[in-house]
Amino acid sequence: MNAASAISTVELSRNKAEAGRAVRIAVKDLNFYYGSFHGLKGIDLDFHDRQVTALIGPSGCGKSTLLRCFNRIYSLYPEQRAEGQILLDGKNILDSSVDLNELRSRVGMVFQKPTPFPMSIYDNVAFGLRLYERLPRSELDGRVEEALRKAALWDEVKDKLKQPGTGLSGGQQQRLCIARTVAQGPEVILFDEPTSALDPISTGRIEELIEQLRDEFTIAIVTHNMQQAARISQFTAFMYLGELIEFGPTERMFMNPTQRRTQDYITGRFG
Amino acid sequence: MDAATTLAPLAGRVRRGRRVADRTLRIGCTLATVIGAVVLGSILLMLIVQGLRGFTPALFTQPTPGPGSEGGGIANAILGSLVLTAIGIAVATPVGVMAGTYLAEYGRTSRLADVIRFLNDILLSAPSILIGLFVYTLMVRPMGSYSGWAGGVALAIIAVPVIVRTTEDMLRLVPGQLREAGAALGAPPSVVITSVTWRAASAGIVTGIILALARIAGETAPLLFTALNNNSWFSANLMGGVANLPVMIYQFALSPYPNWQGLAWAGALLITATILALSIVARLVIKPQRSR
Repeated sequence: MNAASAISTVELSRNKAEAGRAVRIAVKDLNFYYGSFHGLKGIDLDFHDRQVTALIGPSGCGKSTLLRCFNRIYSLYPEQRAEGQILLDGKNILDSSVDLNELRSRVGMVFQKPTPFPMSIYDNVAFGLRLYERLPRSELDGRVEEALRKAALWDEVKDKLKQPGTGLSGGQQQRLCIARTVAQGPEVILFDEPTSALDPISTGRIEELIEQLRDEFTIAIVTHNMQQAARISQFTAFMYLGELIEFGPTERMFMNPTQRRTQDYITGRFG
Repeated sequence: MDAATTLAPLAGRVRRGRRVADRTLRIGCTLATVIGAVVLGSILLMLIVQGLRGFTPALFTQPTPGPGSEGGGIANAILGSLVLTAIGIAVATPVGVMAGTYLAEYGRTSRLADVIRFLNDILLSAPSILIGLFVYTLMVRPMGSYSGWAGGVALAIIAVPVIVRTTEDMLRLVPGQLREAGAALGAPPSVVITSVTWRAASAGIVTGIILALARIAGETAPLLFTALNNNSWFSANLMGGVANLPVMIYQFALSPYPNWQGLAWAGALLITATILALSIVARLVIKPQRSR
């Protein structure tokens, strides 16, 4: 174990006291491998309940890789594997006995590019609801509306629910994807650079939306945009070359980083 | 001598050289296009001129006439071709789409998929007469007679690799993030494939099926050994030989009777027009997806 991770562990325990919120996800000594490439090295990190945690760092630092562990989406690719522990409400989700589909209904994910399915707006939102439940039409209608309202999209699409989701603008498509995720009633929502393919106005709306969603969901967001991390997150983790360099409340991370590399990255000296 | 005077003619020569190369290539390409178009055009022209003469109502209502007799039509061959092609596509579509789905979705990196892909490519370019002989050995000999079923199976074997290939290619064009998004909602692979990726690739897959249809509509060799022919009116008995356009054209065109030759021309024009129509439909189906 090197100095950086030792310090981050100390940081961690201090931050727990600062936050005053329960820990929702606890990552313990997480290692990740792409075949023989060691992508994440001994990550220890806590995600706090109903807070936004931003993962920042230069390209290839492992921030998306870390995010993709929380719903085990990496398991679609046989050569990728994770070792260690990720405790969600105290239960290790990396355990082979975990039902992946159940895990993914509890941990939702929104991707970099909007991914509307080739079906109507209504069917997009209802997709996850129809997977494991047979809801009566009226209840399904209600859940779809509720999800679209939470995603701040209802007013724009309420008259065209039968139209294809792919016909919406980029920003609307991304909010549709958020609605689709929210509809399943997850506890955690993962955002993988959700605004990097959007214009500034759409980006602003998604950021507002993430603020609102924080009341209900624990949120982890990967972003390349440091201003965005500063604007919307309560906690920030800085990663570099597969290691967690520093973690703490966002304000302190940006105002007063303890690590040299964090400071260099935040001030734009590299990255 | 200063630099300007030595360079000027050289620059001119280089430019002229390029212009010559450009013109040569352009003339060469145009010439090749014209040759191709003239050959194709004269075939079509001949086909239309000779074929239209035979386009009478009787062509579509009367069965093929006996040797040397006058009149008659090719109604039995048209109907037989429709039935054989329908059997071929009905058998080939599920097999081809499923196999293409396996290659693109389940077996992406597996060794088995590589082998299947390779064999499929060979099958794609296999001489169709081999397929006819294969089905002859497999079905016609054991069953003791030429049959419509054997013809349909032979056509299916030709259509399958076309459908496998286009299905796989079209599914591969579906962005991986769409699959991840489906999985991230807790959907098992079967649901992601049937309700997300198939839908996203539907226009392309349908186009592949239509192109396979166009391909087998004009196949002659595999039918010579399987469905063969039947000069009587279509009997709905697929256990016996079934009349069909390609074999009818083959036999009638080689015959010494002008009446038969005229019917062969008309049948050839009919097949060509059908294949042209199918190709246009295939283009129309794929178009909205491309512009998206």
